[in-house]
Amino acid sequence: MKTTKIIRKSMKTTALLAMACLVLFSLVLLPAHTSGQSKVQKSPGGYHGELDFPISWKHYYTYDEWTKIIHDLQKKYASLADIQTIGKSRQGRDQFLLTITAKSTGKPETKPAMWVDGAIHGNEVNGITCSLYCAWYLLTRYDYDPYIYELVNRTTFYILPGLNVDANDSYVRYPNTANNPREPFRPMDDDGDGLFDEDPTEDIDGDGELSTMYVEDPAGDFKLSPDKRRFVQVEDPREEALRFRRIGSEGFDNDGDGRINEDDLGGPDPNRNFPYDWNLRNGYPYPLSESETRNVMEFWLGQPNIFGSFHFHNTGRLIMFSAPPAARGATLTPEQQRQVQEQNARRLEEMRKTNQYAQLFDRIVDRNYQGDMDALTEIVTMGARILKDYRPTMSGLVGQAQASSYYMLGAYAYLIELWGSPTTEADENKDGRVSDQEMMKWIDIELGGEGWINPHKVKHPDLGEVWLGGTAKKHISRTPPARYMEEEALRNTQFILYSASQFPKVEIDRVEVRPATDNLLWVEVSVKNGSLYPTSSDRTVQMRRDVKDKLTIDTSGNVKQLEVPEGQTILDPTNPTDRMQTPKGKTAEFRLAGKSSQKFAYLVKMDGGSGWIEFEVSSKFGGTAKKRVNLQVGN
Amino acid sequence: MKDSLRKSGALLCALSLCFVFTVTAGEAQKVPISFNDYHGYTGAVKYLKDIAAAYPNLTELQEIGKSNLGRPIYVLTITNTKTGTTVDRHVEIRHPRNAEIKEAFHLKSYDGKPGQWIDGGLHGNEYTGVEVCLYIIDKLLSGYGSNLEITNLLDNKVIYVCPVVNPDGVFNSVEREISQRGNWDLGAAKDSPRDLNGDGHITQFRYKDPKGASVIDDKDPRLMVRLGPNEQTAKQRYSVVTEGRSAADTMRPRDQETGPTTSIDVNRNFPEGWWTEEGMPGGTGSYPTSAPEAHALVEFAVNHRNILMVQNFHTSGGFTYRPPGVGPDTTMAAKDVAVYDLVLGKKYLEIIGEKVPEAWQNPDRMAEFKAKLRGASRNKYAFERGYEMPRGWIMGYSEERDQRYGYGMVIDWWYQQYGAFAVTTELWNPGADIPGFPKIDSQAPGGRNEQERSLLKYNDEKYGGKLFVNWKPYKHASLGEGEVGGWIPKYRSNALPGDPLKYVCENHWQFELFRAGLLPEIAITDAKAKVLYSTDNAYEAKAVVQGDQVTIKKGGGKGKYKIVEVTATIENKGKLATQVARGSQLNGNRDDVVWLIGDRGKTEFLQGSPWQRLGVLDGQMKIPGQETGPALGGQRGGPGGPGSPVTVTPQMPPGIPGMPMGQRGMGMRGGQQQPQQTGPKREVKWLVAVQGDAPLKIVATSQKGGTVVRELAVR
Repeated sequence: MKTTKIIRKSMKTTALLAMACLVLFSLVLLPAHTSGQSKVQKSPGGYHGELDFPISWKHYYTYDEWTKIIHDLQKKYASLADIQTIGKSRQGRDQFLLTITAKSTGKPETKPAMWVDGAIHGNEVNGITCSLYCAWYLLTRYDYDPYIYELVNRTTFYILPGLNVDANDSYVRYPNTANNPREPFRPMDDDGDGLFDEDPTEDIDGDGELSTMYVEDPAGDFKLSPDKRRFVQVEDPREEALRFRRIGSEGFDNDGDGRINEDDLGGPDPNRNFPYDWNLRNGYPYPLSESETRNVMEFWLGQPNIFGSFHFHNTGRLIMFSAPPAARGATLTPEQQRQVQEQNARRLEEMRKTNQYAQLFDRIVDRNYQGDMDALTEIVTMGARILKDYRPTMSGLVGQAQASSYYMLGAYAYLIELWGSPTTEADENKDGRVSDQEMMKWIDIELGGEGWINPHKVKHPDLGEVWLGGTAKKHISRTPPARYMEEEALRNTQFILYSASQFPKVEIDRVEVRPATDNLLWVEVSVKNGSLYPTSSDRTVQMRRDVKDKLTIDTSGNVKQLEVPEGQTILDPTNPTDRMQTPKGKTAEFRLAGKSSQKFAYLVKMDGGSGWIEFEVSSKFGGTAKKRVNLQVGN
Repeated sequence: MKDSLRKSGALLCALSLCFVFTVTAGEAQKVPISFNDYHGYTGAVKYLKDIAAAYPNLTELQEIGKSNLGRPIYVLTITNTKTGTTVDRHVEIRHPRNAEIKEAFHLKSYDGKPGQWIDGGLHGNEYTGVEVCLYIIDKLLSGYGSNLEITNLLDNKVIYVCPVVNPDGVFNSVEREISQRGNWDLGAAKDSPRDLNGDGHITQFRYKDPKGASVIDDKDPRLMVRLGPNEQTAKQRYSVVTEGRSAADTMRPRDQETGPTTSIDVNRNFPEGWWTEEGMPGGTGSYPTSAPEAHALVEFAVNHRNILMVQNFHTSGGFTYRPPGVGPDTTMAAKDVAVYDLVLGKKYLEIIGEKVPEAWQNPDRMAEFKAKLRGASRNKYAFERGYEMPRGWIMGYSEERDQRYGYGMVIDWWYQQYGAFAVTTELWNPGADIPGFPKIDSQAPGGRNEQERSLLKYNDEKYGGKLFVNWKPYKHASLGEGEVGGWIPKYRSNALPGDPLKYVCENHWQFELFRAGLLPEIAITDAKAKVLYSTDNAYEAKAVVQGDQVTIKKGGGKGKYKIVEVTATIENKGKLATQVARGSQLNGNRDDVVWLIGDRGKTEFLQGSPWQRLGVLDGQMKIPGQETGPALGGQRGGPGGPGSPVTVTPQMPPGIPGMPMGQRGMGMRGGQQQPQQTGPKREVKWLVAVQGDAPLKIVATSQKGGTVVRELAVR
């Protein structure tokens, strides 16, 4: 081990003089990290292990299928993954959770964690694909991809592919509309007739799809298109044509009340069922009333290492993030609001000259929350870059999971709205919407006709004879045709991983020793967090739940830390901004913002010719780092 | 068949007689119970099980969840389980959807009756309420069949009793004598109370301490008197700690049980008003209903929407809290404030023997009282309302300081989110509950000590001094020499067992019985099916809709198709409306509804949808100081006889535009409310085409007013 020679001269006590001696000192570093056992494999030809566990991403998996996949994954990558159930759904399905981290570098609970849930809404099942893809990507690439290797070594990923498992499974396995089943299956009386869930939708012609019902009606607004493949609006009321009236989604009048599908399955919206900013109107019947959501919250509360979270939804191609609250008393007049918006628009235009994905949000947050707002803005800016056609925006509260994640756990939370109506694919005239003709063209040309149901007559027990036709709702509008999913899953995985890569990481940046007078030395330490995220969120600070970062000094027996008045010291009068904290005692407590460092100065007395000083910085989410400096007095 | 039992009064009578016969005289109390000591959790559970076994037709015992430490939480449903029905027993549902989804959700027949919820022991060390619950169970069950009022009550209403909401707290407080408010095991906590001297009781330890806050009372040396913060004394000062603890406790159990993950004050764990205005947790627990006890209660409640009256017994003080506790009176509907104060409060004050405010006795002169208060009171809520709250009937919210009482309390939840008249009665006021006991204002200076002396005296006279352990020398390991003694903690802050406890029980049974008597009760007071027309051909007898008129076409001869006009009057015969003022707007609640049910293949609705919303039916009681709604809605057009064109004016909007009625099968109509009808009565009418002699059935159903059925023969 190298040592530093301290050349003792007759020295003045001023720090300024000490500065001149600075060059005489050099540092001795201990290696920060011993590498794990696993060896990064070569990846000739760009191979990154994907075929070690081949899997199709062009498929919507049923509950049985995807739970088998994650169990197989866990078996194959047992040193990186564990499976547990966080509880059971209303119908008794296990909510399986994958925990992914390199076991060789520490237990999952000792590392900062990213939470990913796949589908809180029953019908938004491509989130299952994205979260499964994320797990698979981490596991298969660990041995081949240094970026993944590093991430999986120092981060824990808690991945819950299906949150709302009952409704997810029903959506995949049965004919359904685009919007149903969305909620857990708590019985509800939607129509207020005293009966529960008595009138859901049904696939009346048994073709496996739910389409739209029309009845023949001379006063109806619809007719068949000339090619007889679509129902179109009657434009001229005098036109002689077979006319139709639109009834709605396929279904029967099960309860005989004269209405169809008016009390479908499903209870409360699970993403209005979390406790933060919950209200009865949106979140009936009470916070975490559903076992599916309560199990998640209970798991979260038991894992104080969760630092970030992703929640998959669709549709809309949005990156929604839980922004800190607006500053109190910062309500602007409409005129002021307009001014702020204009200013922001101008600023944004300027910013986009150098970064076309730059983001700026209208919210003025309390000073105490500015660090969170800044970090979130930076992350979603990169998200916009990674996801290309996604738009970042602030997310709402009202009992949504991501709001509770941020406001109750203090975790940085993102809601991703995947997909969208196929505007990118089908909107030829770029008017932002897909007309029936555009939709049909897309279906005919790109989907080979899949997803369109030609008008046809069937018998209906309540309505006599009905016509069915139009889009098959499920995988055309709400969730994409399965072949479109993989690219989106990859990009979203990359965004999750980027966010995880910016979890705080504390380092001891520099240690400098400057001789003071006689056998006194000033030791200056700089600790640094090079990541975008602070070592604890502003929200945890506001909740008084943050854990401070700690810098601890240890010395050889002959080196004594001397008491200096606690506070801030300017050691270099020529640079008064170069402030140092002079901690009292062996441990200093602080919090590192994102991309920031802090400096500490210790006055020590060394007896004899040689000794050492060691610093250890430790952060709940930022890890630990050590540095030792050996001191030797020379002539 | 059993679902339609209530359709006939005669059948009901027969049933009652049957019970009178089986419950023979002299054997009214099948499971004896005494109130000479507290039952605690163990005793209460044993009693519930014995009762459930003894009265299978009048009770159902359910475990609704488990406590923090895994003890079952029980609800005893008390009602004649042979009576009552729910609408889902009458509407035949077609379910061609996949079998995987089990959406069928049948309420038990008797859960369709108007309900009342009574609970106790939510705070573990406030177990007088457990006893009152058991007393009420005994009165209801032993009174059934012999007492007409109780028999009617259990035939037509349902009472849910949950004597021990917080089993862990009650178990520790009673069985182990470790006074515990929350839902954990204080006995296993660091520095927990312990029986140091092995006398079988955890009492107190007093020791000489120049900084102590207590001195020995001059008049009764057993009594330790607390000094004021700056009070001087020449006497020996003492510190007093709970036996087994090494530091003086604050006398506030809430503070003794600190730590959010260790103990939850269950009555600060409910979803109404749990968060602070700043978006930080205000109540206890990690989130509202995080305590398994609160979760179990709320889950039971939201699946039993029939409850309109709620009691949540606590101790002590001998007064009742009504909501709100988390906000001022302006967060409640004025009508509900009137029901609470002028109906429930008035009765409560009469029962506990306190003066009823003048304004409550003369609600007609409320304007005058308001004007009078405006000059005299600084309480802005009081002069808006017309009266100050009397000692015995208050709300948690402090009107003087404009400050909430706490966060996440149960009665606020019941009222604001569920829609029930919930109260918390703080049981036990020695001055009121022990006949002849000195009337002492324990809040007045020296009042508390005076009350303590009287209680010690009463203990000497009535209990042979058994409830108090005299001070005996003891050497404490860390606090040194001193004495152990004091009240046996079980007998503190709760009604003294025996006569005082029975007195408390009887009073509050009377109050709950009074409240049960106010519950709504839906009835079909009149129902007629009148055949307007008969024909062989359904199409020939079809109604034609023109504007808001329906004309039935003439046809010839009699036949198997009939056009039938069905009329019915639905009435709430109970005293209170079927929902609290804003009740039907709360998610989970609904309007009252009436169905006309016919044979699905053989009944066609020409006018009126199979089910109709009735709104909320008012009760028969005039709520003092509140306007009553206008009388019944307008006149119906009188139908003519067969053979002549019949013209009727529909009472409902004609359905969704573009959906002509009267067509083969059905349009998308239904569910419209008849907006002009208010008050306790609704008149409804349908026009249906019926094939053959298919019977018709009217089902009137109200969440909190019950469900009733009337079958109609078509002739």
